[in-house]
Amino acid sequence: MAGFSSALQLTDLNDFITPSQECIKPVKIDRTAGKVGKIRIEDDGTYYNVSDTGVETKLQKAQITLNDCLACSGCITSAESVLITQQSQDELYRVLQENMAHIANNESFKLVVVSVSPQALASLAAKYSLSMADANRKLVGFFKKLGVHHVFDTTFSRNFSLLESCREFVRRYKESEVNKKVLPMLASACPGWICYAEKTHGSYILPYISTVKSPQQIMGSLDYFARCMGATPDNIYHVTVMPCFDKKLEASRSDFYNDVYSTRDVDCVITSGEVDLMLAKENISLADVEDGTLDTLFGADAMVGHTGGGSGGYLEHIARYAAGQILGTELQKLNFKSLRNQDFQEVTIEADGKPTLKMALAYGFRNIQNIVQKIKRNKCPYHFVEIMACPSGCTNGGGQIRLAEGESTLKDRLADVTGLYNSVPVQSPWSVESVTSLYEEWLGGVDSEKCRQMLHTQYHEVEKMTNALTIKW
Amino acid sequence: MINMATLSALCTLEGHQDQVWCVAWNPAGTLLASCGSDKTIRIWAEEGSQWVCKSVLTEGHQRTIRTVAWSPCGNYLASASFDATIGIWSRKEGEFECIATLEGHENEVKAVAWASSGNLLATCSRDKSVWIWEVTEDEEFECASVLSAHTQDVKSCTWHPNRDVLASCSYDNTIKLFKEEIDDWSCYATLESHDSTVWKVCFDSEGHRLASVSDDKTVKIWQEYLPGNQEGIPTVGNEGTWKCVCTLSGYHDRTIFDIDWSQVNGRLVTGCGDDGIRIFSEEVGSDKNAPSFSMSASVRKAHEQDVNSVAWNPKVSSLLASCSDDGLVKLWRFKDGE
Repeated sequence: MAGFSSALQLTDLNDFITPSQECIKPVKIDRTAGKVGKIRIEDDGTYYNVSDTGVETKLQKAQITLNDCLACSGCITSAESVLITQQSQDELYRVLQENMAHIANNESFKLVVVSVSPQALASLAAKYSLSMADANRKLVGFFKKLGVHHVFDTTFSRNFSLLESCREFVRRYKESEVNKKVLPMLASACPGWICYAEKTHGSYILPYISTVKSPQQIMGSLDYFARCMGATPDNIYHVTVMPCFDKKLEASRSDFYNDVYSTRDVDCVITSGEVDLMLAKENISLADVEDGTLDTLFGADAMVGHTGGGSGGYLEHIARYAAGQILGTELQKLNFKSLRNQDFQEVTIEADGKPTLKMALAYGFRNIQNIVQKIKRNKCPYHFVEIMACPSGCTNGGGQIRLAEGESTLKDRLADVTGLYNSVPVQSPWSVESVTSLYEEWLGGVDSEKCRQMLHTQYHEVEKMTNALTIKW
Repeated sequence: MINMATLSALCTLEGHQDQVWCVAWNPAGTLLASCGSDKTIRIWAEEGSQWVCKSVLTEGHQRTIRTVAWSPCGNYLASASFDATIGIWSRKEGEFECIATLEGHENEVKAVAWASSGNLLATCSRDKSVWIWEVTEDEEFECASVLSAHTQDVKSCTWHPNRDVLASCSYDNTIKLFKEEIDDWSCYATLESHDSTVWKVCFDSEGHRLASVSDDKTVKIWQEYLPGNQEGIPTVGNEGTWKCVCTLSGYHDRTIFDIDWSQVNGRLVTGCGDDGIRIFSEEVGSDKNAPSFSMSASVRKAHEQDVNSVAWNPKVSSLLASCSDDGLVKLWRFKDGE
């Protein structure tokens, strides 16, 4: 299970996505009348039943079909191995090659779109000693040469995530006057955290988690893009490049399956590390790839980013918005105070005569533990917590490019990646014109029903399997 | 002529309704805590010439209690249970009261141990992880680190006698050492030599030697070689290297489940699946780099079934406690030979 965040590894990921070691599916046996005969095994492994009268009948091989598996509750629907092979750079190559063949034969083909997360890009830029802008242009060039039609930056869809999170926080804050169980609001962009929460803490923690979708999934929901291209979601093969493996699980959630078009919002997640393997397979350094032409569908002709750190900046954006909406003040600088370790920091927002707002960053499993236990005992002093499964946040995701022999130190590499990530000029989501117009054109206004459908999701408690058969010793 | 050392039964403490998993003396040596599959903790004390059960702590756990451990100050007792929680009991008010339940482990917690510095607790579980907890000023227990260094069920964890260094041992046949570095805890050494599950490790009173017992029926003694050691053993950074310097084999017929190193008389006591208790002493003139231990005393049939735990009294050199699958706790008197 290499690569998954520690939160997922500890919750015994195999518990809910596992090839079953002990299939408990009863196999239907066709019983023929008469006494039980003998079984003879041939050299080639075929079984013959020899009845007591000497009649030989070849026995059928017991078969379990995939449908048997899906319908059975004794095992889990997707084998981890199936899941992983369905989402890898090998799968992407396969799809691209198949697509090229279709195009060559004038047959219908898929529109291949790749959405790249800025943290994944920073990992590539750090490895190949490029600036973010150069790495971006070259990555676009690399993908387009392989047959990808469009390459986008998930920073664009993150604007929606941030805006919706801000609005949701203020809604919850107002509701907390009558309902104590809406705060603290917990960030929802990290699938490692979500899977852990659903599996281990279930119903008592899920109501606190923000319903806003992650940037990856909002990108997948943007069917506006499909419409612009004159395509439908089932004609699009959407790939995302992410800094972690947990995002592969997120993409395969049933909530992110488009029932109307029978297609997933995100078809394949590959990590920055897997992109690096693709480069190695093509025997090329990213630095030597020819620049590609950037896609400007969403209005950006240069890279932009967000403030607030390498995990999306949820706390910073919510803090500023809340300070304005709730306390009527404009925040100049956020003063973070480190608590028991660097991955646990708090921020206090005060204004004369107004109630104090307290928010925190909690990265890594040990800090998540403490937050969850505090909430469980009603002792959590925060109004919002930006929870991420990976220590140091997304720039240090489990899928980022590993160090090669003699290449720097982990600490230095992380510093490089973070530095590159922070080098991109920032823009407030509130001032991105294409976002504002999409709210009108595509979503029919802020707070519309379509907004709720496209930009929000829900969570499900996962029943714990205490069947001894499924324990992996 | 040498007079043989002897180990003789002092008394049998009945009361537990099922197998007893662990016995632990309080730091003052006046109370003995025992726990087991009947989901209770019993506290025993001497009254006159008898040992009696002073308290039975119930309602703390929903499944077997596997290990109990006293805090260095003697005011708290921690219990590790198969119900995946750790109970913290306080006797500040006289009677023991459960003041906290620590959650987080995925499944059965196998052991709990307090560091001598007083504000750290370690727990380990079948979920293959070791957790470090910090005790805050207001008796709150917060998770300081979750360590997934072992690849299998972690059977036990033990703190160094005077440093915030933790040793853990596992079904993966290894012993691992952990310490805090800058922002987080990490495994800085792995001791491999046993051929099978390592059930327990313990340090000697100085903390430069470690003893371990295993399903491979041996006891191993490990020696720490510090940086700049005269034996020329290479070290990394400013930590010592541990080497297995002695293996005691042929003494035990089955899995050895527990070992304790007396802080007072320096002897080792083992509890074995062959129902026996054995005492080992280091021979006079033993070479530090290749020590020799001999078995001073043994009781082949100390209990009717597996001996799960053995513990030297921390103050009274000759006193020893044991417990077994047979549901009994027994006290023993060790008399040194000449």
